[in-house]
Amino acid sequence: MSGPPSSQDVFDLRRIRRLVELMNEHELGEIDLRQGEMRVRIRRGGEAPAGPPARPAHASPAVGPAPVAPAPPPAPPVPAPIVEEEHIVLIKSPMVGTFYPAPDPDSPAYVQVGDHVGPETVVCIVEAMKVFNQIPAEVSGRVVSVLVGNGEPVEYGQPMFKVDTRK
Amino acid sequence: MFKRILVANRGEIALRVFRACREMGIETVAVFSEADRGSAYLEMADEAYCIGPAKAADSYLKIDRVISAAEIGNAQAIHPGYGFLAENADFAEICRSCNLEFIGPTHEAMALVGDKNAARRIARDVGVPTVPGSDGLIRDAKEALAVARRIGYPVLVKAAAGGGGRGMRVALDDEALGAALKQAEAEADAAFGRGDLYLEKYVEHPRHVEVQILADNHGTVIHLWERDCTMQRRHQKLLEESPAPRLDDSVRRAVCESAVRLVKAAGYTNAGTVEFIVDRHGKYFFIEVNARIQVEHPVTEAVTGVDLIKAQIRLAAGEPLWLRQEEIRPQGAAIECRINAEDASKGFRPSPGIIHRIIPPGGPGVRFDSHVHVGYTVTQYYDSLIGKLIVHQPTRDEAIASMKRSLRELRIEGVKTTVPLHLEILNHPAFCEARIDTTFIERSWPS
Repeated sequence: MSGPPSSQDVFDLRRIRRLVELMNEHELGEIDLRQGEMRVRIRRGGEAPAGPPARPAHASPAVGPAPVAPAPPPAPPVPAPIVEEEHIVLIKSPMVGTFYPAPDPDSPAYVQVGDHVGPETVVCIVEAMKVFNQIPAEVSGRVVSVLVGNGEPVEYGQPMFKVDTRK
Repeated sequence: MFKRILVANRGEIALRVFRACREMGIETVAVFSEADRGSAYLEMADEAYCIGPAKAADSYLKIDRVISAAEIGNAQAIHPGYGFLAENADFAEICRSCNLEFIGPTHEAMALVGDKNAARRIARDVGVPTVPGSDGLIRDAKEALAVARRIGYPVLVKAAAGGGGRGMRVALDDEALGAALKQAEAEADAAFGRGDLYLEKYVEHPRHVEVQILADNHGTVIHLWERDCTMQRRHQKLLEESPAPRLDDSVRRAVCESAVRLVKAAGYTNAGTVEFIVDRHGKYFFIEVNARIQVEHPVTEAVTGVDLIKAQIRLAAGEPLWLRQEEIRPQGAAIECRINAEDASKGFRPSPGIIHRIIPPGGPGVRFDSHVHVGYTVTQYYDSLIGKLIVHQPTRDEAIASMKRSLRELRIEGVKTTVPLHLEILNHPAFCEARIDTTFIERSWPS
């Protein structure tokens, strides 16, 4: 698998993402981890939100390394986590399969950057076991980017489009 | 030989298959659920695809998602591990219809031995003793009563599609039988979608002895001798060993030869296990065939020197058996302890959590198969097995000493484990003298 070799490293991006997910899942305020001389502390911004619960997964927790005490060896740079603004929603693949942006090779793509989509708008096809599944946007807004190329594999939950939901 | 294999499983057995493939020069594709995302063992595969959310029913048990991952990952074969889809004959058939070899028996043989009733019939046809019981499924309570009186109490009510102790009830008399039938049927229906039951004589003080077999696609079947899995709690094995202690050599041979006869008659191929119970007089009875690799396979690997995962892959690729029966000469004694994230002092309740320290044991003849590491989260979604500790020594006494030493070396912090219970078992005089039966743990450590 192509990933960072040291997954036990607390600074592993995927691990940090997982921590952020865990925080959201369990509504934790702060996670503080140390490994050797390195340390990562993740804190959610402000007080626990009142009113409607925050949007999951890509809601924006404040993430950043805490200052590291006497620092030889220096801590490696922490990759900034993907922080999406509130109005950007990801359309994720509901299955593992192959991504096609168009109904067939001779047709134009279902949607292009700049297009407006509604919840029912078909945005792409994900082929799984010879079945061509039309994937609806399930959100209203303007497509701001297409994250997967024609014919590329997508896994469950993989973001395929970014949609700006501002009116 | 296959170039690329998808492993339709997780945790230690997925890692075990990745390791075997790597040594054979075969590439691997992993599938994982969102709960396993980021686990280090996935990096031992060449590619990995998330196939669904944490719940196994929506990920590891989803046939279409597994097949789809095999297709986009360009795998030629699927290794199912144990549990999940490993004994699902439909899955085996679908794999092959999608031009993916299923590393295991044919779906026909799997369905045949998976139906305990059909399996018992085959056993009787080839002269393998079975536990006295109903001739086939029980139609109603009246028939059950008649059978129970004929074979004598206590009787065991079992689900035809059962496994892992589910859908199983003991009845001591007519009155208890009525209740047992109702409970077992409801449980079997809920667990397997089929409420079919059969009845058999409950063998008292039984030991659980099972035989590892290997069978190629060309009609050759050999056995790799036996494992003793008597140390169980509610039909869940905890500690396994080979050879079976205090088993008369003539019984040992008869059991192993019976397993080969049965597997041949069923047309079964690849690796499998034939389970028997043995009573205190050395009488043995066929119980069932496990149509998969088993958790405790390393015990057999230790004493025979045969890598069973590699053997499964070679057999699935169509190789004729490269080993003759007389070449399988077991050496010494091996013991495996299942390290589960469970709290034995609280009724073996699962103990999920984050592992914040782990020190695996080492030294001669010590093997620790585990997918966990510092920072690993043991979730409540899957079984609680976090590692298997296997030792191999010239004698059983030495193996016990080595296991005790290794269990004390093994440090796991963050979750409760079965390590303290294993130490108590290994220090128990009855275990050391092998005066045990399958109720030993429940009797000695009532929860």
